[in-house]
Amino acid sequence: MLSVKNIAKKLPDGRLLLRDISFDAEKGEFIGILGESGVGKTVLLRCINGLTTPDQGEVIINGDGNPKKISGKKGGELRRIRRKIGMVFQGSILVKRLSVLENVLTGRLGRISTARSLFYGFTDGEVGSALEALDKVGIRSLAYRRAETLSGGEMQRVAIARAIFQEPYLLLADEPVSNLDPKNTEAVLDYLKPLTQQMAIIGVFHAPRIVSQYCTRIIGIRDGAVVYDGSPTLSDATIDSIYGTGKWASDPSAN
Amino acid sequence: MGIRSIGELICVQEIVAVNAMMRYWKYLFPTGLFALLLWGGAAVCRVDPVALIAGVPQGIQLLGHMLPPAWKTFPELIGPALQTAQIAFVGTVLGAFLSFLIGLIAARNVHSMKVLRNMVRAILSAERALPDLIVILFFVAIVGLGPFPGVMALAASSIGMLGKLFADAIEEVDPKPLESMVALGATKAQVIRYAVLPQIIPSLIANTLYRFEVNIRMCILLGVVGAGGIGFNLVTSLRLLKYQEAMAVIITILILVTLCEKSSEILRRIVVGQELLR
Amino acid sequence: MNWRRAKNKEELPYKRWYQHHLIPVGVFLLTLGWSMVDLKMSPQLFWEGIPHFFDLVGEMFPPNWQVFSRGKTLWSILETVSMAFVGTFLGAIGAFFLAPFAAANLVPSRVIREITKRMLAAERSVPPLIYILLLVVVIGLGPFAGMIVISLGTIGMLGKLFAEAIETIDPKPLESLESTGATKIQMFRYAILPQVIPSLIANTLYRFDINLRVALFLGVVGGGGIGVDLQMAMSLFQYADALAITAVTLVIIWIAERISDSFRKRIIGQENLQ
Repeated sequence: MLSVKNIAKKLPDGRLLLRDISFDAEKGEFIGILGESGVGKTVLLRCINGLTTPDQGEVIINGDGNPKKISGKKGGELRRIRRKIGMVFQGSILVKRLSVLENVLTGRLGRISTARSLFYGFTDGEVGSALEALDKVGIRSLAYRRAETLSGGEMQRVAIARAIFQEPYLLLADEPVSNLDPKNTEAVLDYLKPLTQQMAIIGVFHAPRIVSQYCTRIIGIRDGAVVYDGSPTLSDATIDSIYGTGKWASDPSAN
Repeated sequence: MGIRSIGELICVQEIVAVNAMMRYWKYLFPTGLFALLLWGGAAVCRVDPVALIAGVPQGIQLLGHMLPPAWKTFPELIGPALQTAQIAFVGTVLGAFLSFLIGLIAARNVHSMKVLRNMVRAILSAERALPDLIVILFFVAIVGLGPFPGVMALAASSIGMLGKLFADAIEEVDPKPLESMVALGATKAQVIRYAVLPQIIPSLIANTLYRFEVNIRMCILLGVVGAGGIGFNLVTSLRLLKYQEAMAVIITILILVTLCEKSSEILRRIVVGQELLR
Repeated sequence: MNWRRAKNKEELPYKRWYQHHLIPVGVFLLTLGWSMVDLKMSPQLFWEGIPHFFDLVGEMFPPNWQVFSRGKTLWSILETVSMAFVGTFLGAIGAFFLAPFAAANLVPSRVIREITKRMLAAERSVPPLIYILLLVVVIGLGPFAGMIVISLGTIGMLGKLFAEAIETIDPKPLESLESTGATKIQMFRYAILPQVIPSLIANTLYRFDINLRVALFLGVVGGGGIGVDLQMAMSLFQYADALAITAVTLVIIWIAERISDSFRKRIIGQENLQ
């Protein structure tokens, strides 16, 4: 479904950040990307949906039998492709003054004509699906609350509901649980995992322990290249090779 | 440094005195200059304290003429007062609407046509530096007298201030919702409608209301210059020496301005309280 | 309002798009529409005005600089600047004497404070327009009337700003002077004044800039100065003259703003040194 081929990206000062990243993803997979901070995991994710343009390589998405190249596209074409890629970010990306339901409804803006969306003309069917999406993450009761009144964990669940409502082929998650406490982390990931039935999920995470529990496959990145691509059960040696330290076991950020 | 003779003592005293003078000289010169300018300015203005003092009994006499105000003219003043409010209202709304569009053009985070953006910002600065009065006078000269030109003049003079405020508000918006909507394929218009607009509406409305208060005063002046509204009544009644009617008009004006200020305050509190607005 | 009560409920029927803000937006649009009809606004007037607009712009250019060869116009500029200058000065003096009575840390009596504050507020809220029209009847047209109106308006604003400045000073020098038995006036002169002067001067300069524009404004209604010339040129349809006058006025305003800006920076700078 997704083909990432030979992605390379330079930093503004000329140094190479990503060197030659390639991998494929299929529906049903929950891929976790691991690596040190600053190694380029977020940049890689943004290359996939076109928020950042790679200096070399290409990204091809094929959700319905028509492969479409993402890198290098602009304007209307890019938008059409993006409809099918959902993204969940690290902090909250909700519009604070809108209600939770309205935030979820914006998930399908890519599909709704501009004219209709200008006047808030969501159909009853769309509203129903949005409420169902909220149900799937367990916060339907918060549907009419203003988004800024929610806790961090709840806001992430709204973001996931929005992604569900969007019905993409691929869901990208950029450190979706890094800001959350352990209980909320588990809750959010519990809601993410079942989505693999409809889509492929690629998530960037900072803690290996979480990833091993939920992901179906792990990709480790170090020095700009893929150093590990395989089973989610990681030995300490593997983790060291990804992070480059010998002392991972006492890493306080892995909870 | 012992002082060995009377001669030396006198010298030292002189030096001390000269030093003292020089210390105050620093203040003396600018103060003197200032006083000179002040006196000159007063002369230019034909300041005449005698006339002022003579004017006091005249002023009291005038007040005597003006009271009691001509209560029976009040009903016919409602029309012009209302018209003044309408002109200010429509002018402010039109100005706000145009300023919103202009603000979108002038904001850094909406589009990437830098040249256009800088041009618009420069025009806005220039317009802001112009005293509102001049903008209005020119507009009235161009489009003529009457309520409609008054509306356009007010709209034009509001764009300078509101355009900049709106552009700044748009630039200060939290960018994360914007980016996340772009990431799911929304068009620019949709992003503006759902991510930008909800964040800036309170400040839009607060600023527009403030500008409305300013515009009401401008509108009274417009009336004085002949563009319609209650200012015209004031000038006419004064010219016809009908002082009691003039007093009635003044009272009406004060009521009008106070009403507008109060309602604008109330509306602002409602919006900032975020009860009705999302 | 059912959506307020419903904030506590968990289920609310989803409002269709037209139900959002129906009442406020509806009222707003109705008022707008009614006003526009009442004012007989029509796009037609606008279209008709456009060729007229270009005619006028043609008449305005090139600006007629000759208008300044008449000494009267130059004198008018002097009048305007003097009005603003002297008016600001007098207003500042007046505010200087009134403000201590409105300051919380100088005058314990709330009554006096409230009265003073009301007086200052009243002077601020009456549009200068009304003052000038009345004053002109009493004293006659000309810059004298304009200057008085400017002083009155200035007292209101500067009085409020001065009082606030007095209230926000560091109280320690004040208390230490009080404990040595100084009189109120001495306390004012030695503890309050030094702390407050920079902001006094800065605010006065700021008000001077505003008063230049007010002087222009007042001229149009009879207060003397270049506003008079501008208004006359406009009403006699001498647009080239008007443009020249406007241009020069703008330059003067701009120069005055630069000067007062640099003064203000020097003063704030001195304060930082102290």
